[in-house]
Amino acid sequence: MNAAHENAITILTNYVFPNDLHVHWSMMIALYPYITGIVAGAFIVSSLYHVFGVKSLKPISRFSLLFALAFLTCATLPLLFHLGRPERNFNIMLTPNPSSAMAGFGYIYMLYGVVLLLEVLFIYRPTLVYLRKKSQGLMEMIYRALTFDSTNLSPESLELDRKIISFLAAIGIPMACVLHGYVGFIFGGIKANPTWATPLMPVIFLLSACVSGVAGIILVYILIKTFTNKPADTDCVRTCTNYLAGFFILDFVFEMLEVLSHSYLRTAHYHAVDELLNGPLYNSFWIGQVGILSVIPLILLGWLCLTRVNDTLFKIGASLVSFMLLLQVVFMRWNVVIGGQLISKSARGFTVFHPEWFDKEGILTAIVLMCAPLVVLFVISRIFPFWMEEMDEG
Amino acid sequence: MKSSYNSHVKRIILGLVIFAVVGFIGKEISSPKSFGVYGHYRADAIQEEADRDMRHKTNTPCLPCHTHEAGLHKNGLHKTISCEFCHGPMADHITSGIKTGELPVKKGEEIRVLCLRCHNRAIHARPGDVIKTVVMPDHLRDKKVKETHTCNQCHHVHAPYNYIDQAKQALSIKEAS
Amino acid sequence: MDREKPELNEERRTFIKKVLKGTIAGSLLLVIPLRADDLETSEQIPEHIPEQIPGIRGSEYDMSRHRFVFIVDITRCIGCGSCCVADKREYNVPDGNYRTWVERYIKDIDENIYVDCPNGGLDGYQKPREDIDRPVRDTFFVPKLCNMCEDPSCVQVCPVGATFRSPDGFVLIDSERCIGCAYCIQACPYSVRFLNPVTHTAEKCSWCYHRVRRGLLPVCVHVCPAKARKFGDLNDKESEVYKILSGPGVITVLKRDMGNSPSLYYKGARREVI
Ligand code: SF4
Ligand code: SF4
Repeated sequence: MNAAHENAITILTNYVFPNDLHVHWSMMIALYPYITGIVAGAFIVSSLYHVFGVKSLKPISRFSLLFALAFLTCATLPLLFHLGRPERNFNIMLTPNPSSAMAGFGYIYMLYGVVLLLEVLFIYRPTLVYLRKKSQGLMEMIYRALTFDSTNLSPESLELDRKIISFLAAIGIPMACVLHGYVGFIFGGIKANPTWATPLMPVIFLLSACVSGVAGIILVYILIKTFTNKPADTDCVRTCTNYLAGFFILDFVFEMLEVLSHSYLRTAHYHAVDELLNGPLYNSFWIGQVGILSVIPLILLGWLCLTRVNDTLFKIGASLVSFMLLLQVVFMRWNVVIGGQLISKSARGFTVFHPEWFDKEGILTAIVLMCAPLVVLFVISRIFPFWMEEMDEG
Repeated sequence: MKSSYNSHVKRIILGLVIFAVVGFIGKEISSPKSFGVYGHYRADAIQEEADRDMRHKTNTPCLPCHTHEAGLHKNGLHKTISCEFCHGPMADHITSGIKTGELPVKKGEEIRVLCLRCHNRAIHARPGDVIKTVVMPDHLRDKKVKETHTCNQCHHVHAPYNYIDQAKQALSIKEAS
Repeated sequence: MDREKPELNEERRTFIKKVLKGTIAGSLLLVIPLRADDLETSEQIPEHIPEQIPGIRGSEYDMSRHRFVFIVDITRCIGCGSCCVADKREYNVPDGNYRTWVERYIKDIDENIYVDCPNGGLDGYQKPREDIDRPVRDTFFVPKLCNMCEDPSCVQVCPVGATFRSPDGFVLIDSERCIGCAYCIQACPYSVRFLNPVTHTAEKCSWCYHRVRRGLLPVCVHVCPAKARKFGDLNDKESEVYKILSGPGVITVLKRDMGNSPSLYYKGARREVI
């Protein structure tokens, strides 16, 4: 009898609650933590230089801030595409519900945006003042606005700027962590979904954010340098890759810990989670996220960081690893956000998700939205020079 | 214009303060009036939900017009059945005292499907003390009628035993025990 | 269970004629002239509809004085789906979304449980399931609807306060403020919510708040021919729900470990019911 009953629980008859057939949070909601993750990760890279004084990151310290800014401007787009009534989005600022994990988004996002923008402006102030003098017409107006019409570069003034920059960078770190850890909590706070409801969720999101941010910066940095025929700073890339390895090891450990604790605790929901990971998600989780995109990069990272690899090879290896890890995080977001919703709350079956190409929240939108930050980055590069060398040459 | 060493900082702070004040005022102005009377929601929403139009209006308003069916229905075994379940909601039929639409009357095969929604014994879980069920087509065979018969050829839909009892009386058939 | 008394009036002759002709379909062809005053009574004036829940009409409605509960009696449900049909019509629920639905549970002799719910039970259950090869031990139907949780997760997570619990215990949705984020849909452990594809706002069962406030039963309760759905005010000691809940029957709630404290109770629900 007991064995029979045990059996009764494990057999999933694929009964899905009628309202669970539809996956309500689709690709846009997978994309949104991906983009905010890159923001948080990139910001942390710049903070490593500005706050923790990792000198070798100097060449990309400014670039990573602008990188974060570019992605931040696009972070709300997927949400707007997702909302049923996007025109009402301001309700979340007007009447934020204190008990809702999602309600804080508007304010956290806005505050973080202000801090990031101010930090960029203060760091770039001497540059902007200089560029203002050199340019005319529309560009002059833009630089005048961005420097708040102040051209004072006296030592006193720069000293004040320096203090403000340290302050902004310092409060920026907890804010970046809040911004993204909080995104993890949006999922972790849903007790009705057994794959989401774990206190590890914010931690995993934060660490994977760092991974995607650092990987994004390494990849884009090397690509830009290659295409503009300038040498990328090897020391800087090596340091970044070391950090990437560190973040990724932590990230991977926690991701596995979550699965492990599920399968060890064997609570009532375990069977559903187990069948999910070994059923509908088998390919995207075990083969994609864990096998190809975690284990192989780990080996590659070990090779890059622990052995003496020559510079050219290192850059190729670093780009490859970064690309794989960027994909790993995409898979992870997909498996958490969409995979999590495949379990019906009936605990008896799974629904299926078919991404559409031309849907409002479809693949095409996702591609466009992923390209948008890069376009913004290009526009920003017309105003803020990325690299210190260019300034020095000027 | 000559700028002092901290003029940009002053301007930024001023800008942030203006932004915050305008934002706060905007928030106050555009927050809904009755928000927060009972809790973190718009209290008027309760009344709005309470004022929603009813589309089903129970059996009572049907009976004065459809007196024949009313007579049958209220004395029959089907008296617990809602008129609107088989025929559709009142709101699709009468609005403000004016007839605005025809409600469907089921016929032929539709009748059989409708009856078997409840009376099909092949679906277990239909307790005998709640509902009388039959097995089709065994029931038709038992009663020695054609298998093509629809239910309402013997059972009046509004009062299932009406004809049967009448027939028994008319033909003076004594009930066995 | 009394049979209707056969009335042998002039109808009898017509009846016999019809029997002889082999058709009785003509019985619906009786033409009854419509009178104006009849029409007026049939209009939507709830006062003309007899009260179904005592203590609501008349005096000023005091939200704090009521404690409504819903009881589903699984031992009585016959799976006809009347409730689902009525609900869909009352709210014009778009296809593929369900404010309420009726599940069929089948237990075979090995204690395996099979559940299905084709089209949310809207078409009723016309056929037995044919894909079960073991002998079936037991079958029962389980109607589902909003649990009107005392500690509702949907209200907790709604970022804009568009879903809320009113002082009289109804969890309702303010469709004027809902931004359609679907967070509440994720949070509800019972999956009773959906995003209405027409209004793009969240929607769910409201226990027919608009009817209750007019002193009428929720429409699913009203149409249930088997009296498997019961609704009433626990503060009214005369109500059927009070008697059931204070009586000895086996009463459970769904997913108790979610900690939502539902106000929807199930009578006779077995442990397999989720
Ligand atoms: S059952 Fe779901 S929708 Fe209803 S009150 Fe509970 S959490 Fe909210
Ligand atoms: S969909 Fe509407 S009711 Fe649900 S959480 Fe979002 S805003 Fe609130």
